[in-house]
Amino acid sequence: MPIVVNLDVMMAKRKMSLNELSEKVELTLSNLSILKTGKAKAIRFSTLEAICKVLECQPGDILEFVE
Amino acid sequence: MFINKYLLRLPKLLILKFMSKTNNFVFWGLYIVAWLIFVGLSIEAGALLVNFFFSIYNPEIVGNLYQKLDLSEMYYESKMAFFGIYSFILIISILKAYLFYIVIHLMHKMDLSKPFSSFVARQISLLSYFTLTIGILSYVARQSAKNLMHHGFVTDNLNHFWADSQAFIIMAAVIYIISVIFAKGIELQNDNELTI
Repeated sequence: MPIVVNLDVMMAKRKMSLNELSEKVELTLSNLSILKTGKAKAIRFSTLEAICKVLECQPGDILEFVE
Repeated sequence: MFINKYLLRLPKLLILKFMSKTNNFVFWGLYIVAWLIFVGLSIEAGALLVNFFFSIYNPEIVGNLYQKLDLSEMYYESKMAFFGIYSFILIISILKAYLFYIVIHLMHKMDLSKPFSSFVARQISLLSYFTLTIGILSYVARQSAKNLMHHGFVTDNLNHFWADSQAFIIMAAVIYIISVIFAKGIELQNDNELTI
């Protein structure tokens, strides 16, 4: 899929673990790891909003289009 | 107030519980019926196989065997017609038994609490393919038997083996449509599960 999820990069920049993020975003660890590994087929705006709020970033920092 | 609310919800809860129990009861009832049909069809296929070998090697005994299906006259007149008709009979009866084996396998492995799995979709589409094969084979066999009748062979006693060819073809179409809808449903469920 040409859309790449750079969640791990942003987490590393903010020095945040997956556990911490899952607690703050109120998502399960399994769902977050699905998102992180790029297995997810879609992401809700509400989830994206929560992640951006916690990681203090823009949606473009997490999602990237690669040809 | 709380009691009133509970009282209003009670019939709905009871109906839901009753429905799930009824569905379970119907499912297990159908499972037993499918087993019975499978056993019956397997016995029929086995008996026809025994008939086939006896009508080649010892045709006198066939009169005492299953359905008294004696095609030895046909065997002496035209071996090709005999083997053709018998292979139709055998293949159709074996396929019918296998069809019900698939049904039993499906009902045995299926988890009623999570019925939308790729296994179920695959088995349902397999059911439609086998049903269509049986229907088409029965139709071809019926036409062949009619054709043989024009050549002076007596094939009246074979009609009940392929009487329901059209029903099988229509059933195959219905099952195929259901399997396509089921497969689409599973795809949607997978998409939904992978939406974070």
